[in-house]
Amino acid sequence: MVTPSTWEIVSLLLDVAHITFIILLASAVLGLLLGAVLTMINVKNIPVLKQITVVISSFTRSVPIIIQLFIVYYALPPLLGNFGINVTSMSATVAAILALTLYHGGYLTEVLRAAYKAVDKGQHEAADSLGYTPTKKFFRIILPQTVPVALPGWGNALIHLIHDTSLVFALGVADIMGRAELIAASSFGMNQVQVFLIVAAIYIVVTFLSDGMVRLFEKKTQKFKLDSGLKAKRVA
Amino acid sequence: MLNMEILVDNFFGILSVVPQTVALAITIFILSILIGTGMALVQEYNVPVLKQVVLLFKLFLRGTPLIVFIFIMYYSLPSIIGYFTGLMNLDYNANNISPVVILIVAVSLTVSSFQAETIRGSFLSVSYGQIEAARSLGYTPFQAFKRIITPQALVEALPEFGSAFLVVMKAISLGFMITVVDIFAEARLIAASNSYYVEAFVVAALMYWGVAALVVKLTGKYESYLVSRT
Repeated sequence: MVTPSTWEIVSLLLDVAHITFIILLASAVLGLLLGAVLTMINVKNIPVLKQITVVISSFTRSVPIIIQLFIVYYALPPLLGNFGINVTSMSATVAAILALTLYHGGYLTEVLRAAYKAVDKGQHEAADSLGYTPTKKFFRIILPQTVPVALPGWGNALIHLIHDTSLVFALGVADIMGRAELIAASSFGMNQVQVFLIVAAIYIVVTFLSDGMVRLFEKKTQKFKLDSGLKAKRVA
Repeated sequence: MLNMEILVDNFFGILSVVPQTVALAITIFILSILIGTGMALVQEYNVPVLKQVVLLFKLFLRGTPLIVFIFIMYYSLPSIIGYFTGLMNLDYNANNISPVVILIVAVSLTVSSFQAETIRGSFLSVSYGQIEAARSLGYTPFQAFKRIITPQALVEALPEFGSAFLVVMKAISLGFMITVVDIFAEARLIAASNSYYVEAFVVAALMYWGVAALVVKLTGKYESYLVSRT
């Protein structure tokens, strides 16, 4: 058995990096959408649906992500089979995206709800008194003020999500971690530490890139933040 | 649908490893608070070289997924310990080190880097006037720390500690990768033996949910008790 050099390991790992990134991107986008929908249901106080959102966010926060992954992968196909929906051929990648979306969405609900509630009541009343339609009020007044409040929490959730994508290999997805395990197992204990240090380096780069991105957003949206009703800064 | 007989069977099977998992979580939690306090002190008192080490360490742990760090520890800790025991001429075979120890080290180091922030924040939140008042009453620094500052800082930190405990609880579910048996690993073992995967994982999820609900309730109670005292 030849032991691969550092650069060979890096290129072997980067070969499969796109799988990790696709899972990450898909679950980040879908999770944000799901979180937004759940938050909407929650703040609008829709009877039965609201209780469901509470259960979803409590479940996703209390149960280890690895169990959530396994439940979606093993339990969802037979469960949906009872309703005549056949998903027995669901691939591990799809299951991973689904589980991470649920997890990210449930987690984000708390962040988004707090941010929405942080917008001063007077802002709603002012928009109403000016005769804004609900849609116009939401997009022009409420959303721009919600975003800067929600960004730090969203950034944290994103970092959690990035870290948790490292677990999808447990379902058999051949992502960076799956490849790393393979290299570590096939080199007879020669460069296990090296392989995982390289994986760590890749994740550190991704984490700090996304962190930087969130901070940039935070700077850009700072101007929408209002100190209070009276001390409003120049709002463009 | 779910097989009820298996479900009940699994329930008691998995319940038997809950105390073990909670004990492991408590150990890691206490260690992480101790290490976190150490890190916070190093940062607050600007200890030269150590401060840079702590900052670098935090940077590394913030960017690395826990499972990667667990693997790094799993593969490198025995040789690191072996190197030191070799230096001291100790007759100790580091390759026999238990995976539980490795898990404890990996998780408590990771969590401690977050605990350090919590602890720093909660001590900074106690106003300086409180320390001055204690001093004017003739308290020794240690008395002031124990009787005035810690109770107030604890109120501030308690909700964070509660969620940190849950993070630890969830984090050790990754121990199955290095053969540590906890709630999740036991569920996997049971599922592999009778191939009722859904039942086992549902029961495991319920256990975690129950522990989480209990911890939230207990910290809430303790917090209101502390608030009523301060």
